[in-house]
Amino acid sequence: MTAFATRLGAAVAAPFALLARAIDLPLRGWQRLTGMGGMAAVFLAPNLAIFGVFVLIPLALNFAYSMTGGTDILLPDRPFVGADQYARLLDCADYSRAVTCREDAFWTAARNTAVFVVFQVSLMVAVSMITALILNRKIAGRGFFRAVFFFPVLLSPVVVGLIWRWILQRQGLLNLIVVNLGFDPQVWLNDRLYAFAAAVGVSTWAHMGFYTLILLAGLQAIPRDLYEAAEMDGTKPGRVFRRITLPLLGPNLAVVLVLALIRSVQIFDEAYVLTGGGPGTSTLFLTQYIYETGFASLLRNPGLAAAASILMAGVLVVLTLAQLALSRRAERR
Amino acid sequence: MAGIILSGITKSFGPAQVIHGVDLQIAEGELMVFVGPSGCGKSTLLRLIAGLDRPSTGTIALDGRDVTALPASDRGLAMVFQSYALYPHMTVRQNLSFGLQNIRMDKAEIAARVAEAGRLLEIEGLMDRRPTQLSGGQRQRVAIGRAIVREPSAFLLDEPLSNLDAELRGTMRAEISGLHARLGATMIYVTHDQTEAMTLADRIAVMRAGRIEQVATPLELYNHPANLFVAGFIGAPNMNLFAARASGGVLSLPGGAELPLPGTPAGADVTIGIRPQHLRLAQEGEDAIEARVTLIEALGAETVVHAQTAEGQPVITVLPGQPPLTRGEALRLNFDPDEAHLFDENGQRIAR
Ligand SMILES: Nc1ncnc2c1ncn2[C@@H]1O[C@H](COP(=O)(O)OP(=O)(O)OP(=O)(O)O)[C@@H](O)[C@H]1O
Ligand SMILES: [Mg+2]
Repeated sequence: MTAFATRLGAAVAAPFALLARAIDLPLRGWQRLTGMGGMAAVFLAPNLAIFGVFVLIPLALNFAYSMTGGTDILLPDRPFVGADQYARLLDCADYSRAVTCREDAFWTAARNTAVFVVFQVSLMVAVSMITALILNRKIAGRGFFRAVFFFPVLLSPVVVGLIWRWILQRQGLLNLIVVNLGFDPQVWLNDRLYAFAAAVGVSTWAHMGFYTLILLAGLQAIPRDLYEAAEMDGTKPGRVFRRITLPLLGPNLAVVLVLALIRSVQIFDEAYVLTGGGPGTSTLFLTQYIYETGFASLLRNPGLAAAASILMAGVLVVLTLAQLALSRRAERR
Repeated sequence: MAGIILSGITKSFGPAQVIHGVDLQIAEGELMVFVGPSGCGKSTLLRLIAGLDRPSTGTIALDGRDVTALPASDRGLAMVFQSYALYPHMTVRQNLSFGLQNIRMDKAEIAARVAEAGRLLEIEGLMDRRPTQLSGGQRQRVAIGRAIVREPSAFLLDEPLSNLDAELRGTMRAEISGLHARLGATMIYVTHDQTEAMTLADRIAVMRAGRIEQVATPLELYNHPANLFVAGFIGAPNMNLFAARASGGVLSLPGGAELPLPGTPAGADVTIGIRPQHLRLAQEGEDAIEARVTLIEALGAETVVHAQTAEGQPVITVLPGQPPLTRGEALRLNFDPDEAHLFDENGQRIAR
């Protein structure tokens, strides 16, 4: 068995060894030519190329689009309009009321997204924290539950949206239960509040496993004897949590917060499949607005969509920088 | 005031029994040391006393009060962990104050106690540092300080010096000894370093495999080990042990040497134990243990000589000064009968 494994390993390694020998000489030559710095460039180049093709160039293109008008798709066909698209997006009589804005759907989507982010991120952090705390205890079937909570992360967001639509639709699973309990069935996704809550709840359910995992790793990295020392010190459980667990979990919490925030601002697929933005515009979020403006509506306006996405990216950059600054300061303390 | 009383303590983790019935009384103000080889249950016993684990059977009494069911936080004991277990995100001052804030002690009183502990342990200058900014010895002091400020009814220390280098260990040992004298508090000190045990203890409990083999003062243990295990464990280098045949006042060793030894039982297989320090070079004509030198460790003031008998039995002797011996040389060793220890077939001491 082990002999076989060894031979298998050798067989797998052989081509790589050959490859390594083949590139050894040219690499040495290159190093003699450029020194160690040049070697770093060689190894970074493939990744940089991919990053450039799929991130940097699209970013630049997107910015270019945001300065153009019309409905044509190809950039050379589009007239340059300067900052007009931005002006259109930001043209509001009263920023607190979306209806007074020229692009009222953008402002509705922005407000919906802001509310969504506040509720979803709070819920996400709370729920994944509680789940991690429970899964960190010595409970029966701990491994099983860890898998159960992580499983939705592996699902495609579209599948997540579909599953929950089946549960929440008029003839869905939830109504079956409600009726059997003797209540009236509800059209959950036709109610502004329920639909919004469903979007928050479902997206939390779909991603909490990931954040739970990060927090669980943090919890397990806290030495057990600190808790024993706290117990000897006569510390009450609530105070242990506040004074020991929370501070030591700080870095993990910061990571969870920033990742959850960024993903929350970008909410799209599962919510779109679940509610389609409705009822009305009550669950219309920014990404959906951008997608519909740019690709799906009858009057396609790629320039406007590009401008909206640049504004959203700006918000994300600000959030990320703020978080980085915060965590740096926390680290220095 | 009755100190700490353990009665009939056993502890099992699942199917594995780790503590097999321990009875022990520790007097108020006593410094009791638990020694024994690794894995014998010292830490487990200490954790049971601390309340971090519950005994499977038996009771624990503190100052006459049964605390077996009481959680650790209500026992009023303080523990110094082998790893120190300092809170890494708190400064030294916060580490020291934390336990006092838990019981909502008055701020001024906390500050006074922390300052007092800082003075006692000479860590006043470190109060605003974090544990990562301290050396091993400084951390160790902070860990002790955290115990002191609570003014506990007893201190539990689990190998507090094992992470320090030999020199610092010596210094800290003296400091703990001084601290015990000053505070007069009950202390239980776990170690597997017998020098620590011998120098610190009022009494030592020697443990093996979840049982206490003997409880006695250091010198009592050294002079009258209750059995072969204790005899072999206490004293460095280890006691020499020879299988022998006792026949009423005379002991025949395997090598054929016949040694007069008053008080030996008649016709029994025994083990004779002689500390290396008690073996001396035999006079001409004396019946003696014959051996050949295999290794000489000259320490200056004394010389540790490792030798082997014709039967292959190792013998260690510590000779004063710097005797002119060479490897391979024949040695004839003898001892004062009063300093020999006799053990029966079961390894128990035979009183003489
Ligand atoms: N939580 C536990 N679960 C199962 N077995 C344990 C547990 N804690 C300790 N043991 C076992 O109990 C025995 C005694 O352990 P303990 O830690 O008390 O030894 P010790 O005398 O302190 O050793 P050392 O000198 O190495 O610290 C060991 O065999 C250990 O494997
Ligand atoms: Mg131990």
